Amino acid sequence: MKQSKLMLDQVSKEFGDGDTSVKVLDRISLDIKSGEFVAVVGPSGSGKSTFLSIAGALLSPTQGRIWMGDHEVTKLSAKKMNQLRLSHIGFVFQSSNLIPYLTVRDQLLLIAKLAGQQGQEPKQRADHLLERLGLSHRKNHYPESLSGGERQRVAIARAWMNDPELILADEPTASLDSERGRTVVQMLADEVKLRQKAAVMVTHDKRMLDLCDRIVYIEDGKLSEQPQPILL
Amino acid sequence: MFLALRELQHAKLRYLLIGFIMVLISWLVLFVTGLAQGLSSDNASSIQNMKADYLILQEESDHRINRSILTDEIWREIQRHPAGDHASPLGVHMNTLTKESSTAKFDAAFFAIDMASMMAPKVVEGTMINNTDAEHVMADRSLKDDGYRLGDRIVDQATGAAFTIAAFTEGQSFSHAPVIHLNFEGWKALQPSGSQQGTIYNAVALNGSPEQMDALAQDIYGIEIITKSKALQGIPGFQEEQGSLVMMIVFLFVIAAFVLAVFFYVITIQKMNQFGVLKAIGAGTGYLVRNLIFQVLTLTVVSLAISIGLTYGVSLLIAGVVPFSLTPSVVLLCSLLFLAVSLMGSLLSLYRVIKIDAIEAIGRAA
Ligand SMILES: Nc1ncnc2c1ncn2[C@@H]1O[C@H](COP(=O)(O)OP(=O)(O)OP(=O)(O)O)[C@@H](O)[C@H]1O
Ligand SMILES: [Mg+2]
Repeated sequence: MKQSKLMLDQVSKEFGDGDTSVKVLDRISLDIKSGEFVAVVGPSGSGKSTFLSIAGALLSPTQGRIWMGDHEVTKLSAKKMNQLRLSHIGFVFQSSNLIPYLTVRDQLLLIAKLAGQQGQEPKQRADHLLERLGLSHRKNHYPESLSGGERQRVAIARAWMNDPELILADEPTASLDSERGRTVVQMLADEVKLRQKAAVMVTHDKRMLDLCDRIVYIEDGKLSEQPQPILL
Repeated sequence: MFLALRELQHAKLRYLLIGFIMVLISWLVLFVTGLAQGLSSDNASSIQNMKADYLILQEESDHRINRSILTDEIWREIQRHPAGDHASPLGVHMNTLTKESSTAKFDAAFFAIDMASMMAPKVVEGTMINNTDAEHVMADRSLKDDGYRLGDRIVDQATGAAFTIAAFTEGQSFSHAPVIHLNFEGWKALQPSGSQQGTIYNAVALNGSPEQMDALAQDIYGIEIITKSKALQGIPGFQEEQGSLVMMIVFLFVIAAFVLAVFFYVITIQKMNQFGVLKAIGAGTGYLVRNLIFQVLTLTVVSLAISIGLTYGVSLLIAGVVPFSLTPSVVLLCSLLFLAVSLMGSLLSLYRVIKIDAIEAIGRAA
């Protein structure tokens, strides 16, 4: 049986309190196994980003429990959650959330630094990742001189840097044209298959869905799974 | 400090500008401090360099040495008192002098002292005078810069008494005038003619514990005992000069704190999104705070080093023209204060960095 990478059990999220509270997520359950690339779709304001934040230990749920590998995330302290994010999760944000004053290579090395890794090994790992994503010739450039697609590829390389079990991407292709967007998503899918990890991607772009293994649909706080790929 | 250094390097112009302003402010702080110190020693170095902790003055003399008069009788009482063992009398007399066979005038302060006591100044040229020779005096070295030489004769304008300069001393001024040291034999010649009460003193210098001073003040009628720093405040003009300069320095520190606070705050606000991302990818708050403090300290230390260099450079240029004195310990104190002020300036930014939530990074277009 395949290993479970992320499991949500009856997770709810309410914003606000008392009379003005809004239930954004309502008893959501989901189990993601290694090698799976999951797409999350749904109308604007349906709670996709909220879902991703909770899955990524950035936000704690009002109810329910979350497991990541053997760790029960909902039981961890803030500091432990921080460490978990560093070692278990790679984030790819909507637009290039790279650090403007770091070169492409340093963006990756920062992750190793944060994890307290020293020496030559992280450098080799970074170089190797950049090569796989076709960025070797951009190693010493700053984000400002990269194209949108290149930036997103750097963000993906950064997300893989600490060999996380799970990649969470919030509309990674929103700032790209469809051709470049597809290349980026393709790379994400390839890496997930190759390393037997897992990835969750929020997207609005229906043309990317055929690259994903599963599609979950969020509306009115409920989560439903769509059969794939007959839907399209 | 991986992040801090790379950012300083990448945003050179921005940090150069802040650094430049910090250099200017700290330079001004150091310079004004040097001027204040210079003026204070130009004014009162003879009291500052005096090897005594306390001065006995006449009661009701407003802490002013030149207003106080102590009779020979009181001096003998002090000597007899157990606490007055190592006391030494001091006569102070401000007057206008001329050089013999010349009409050029200058103001000076005569200090009558016991040449064998702790009051004896440091001689840098010539020979120390003794307690019996009424003819010779020792003058501050600033008179030498005005063209006086060993062996020159000077005349007190009021009494007509004439003395020969036997030695030059160092760091001896009182109320911005050079001090001329003489013994009590010479002092007699400066007393108003016809005075019958014997030798008149202005103050008595002594060392001892606060308890001894209390006992002395209790036992002897008509005196008050003040510390050396109180006596400094009592020198005409001293308090006013120092007060305005110290106020300038305080304002400069306050201005520095605000300017730095605004700069760091604006820079931090611009980087809010970045901090969110950094926290999301696993950077701890402690790590970010350390980086910010490291940046602030680096900037401050480099700026201070430059401004200390500039201050000493300029002090060489103006040496002799403007009274200026800056000891390493004062520079150190100012630098530490400046470091503290710049750290205070970054507090607001630190607060924002601590408060930023990693959630800011997700679901938002940058
Ligand atoms: N901190 C918050 N406080 C209160 N309400 C919030 C908060 N964050 C999100 N919401 C609400 O929760 C709902 C879901 O927001 P979310 O950002 O998850 O939507 P989304 O599916 O990502 O939308 P989009 O596709 O436009 O990005 C919205 O109605 C939003 O107003
Ligand atoms: Mg969203």
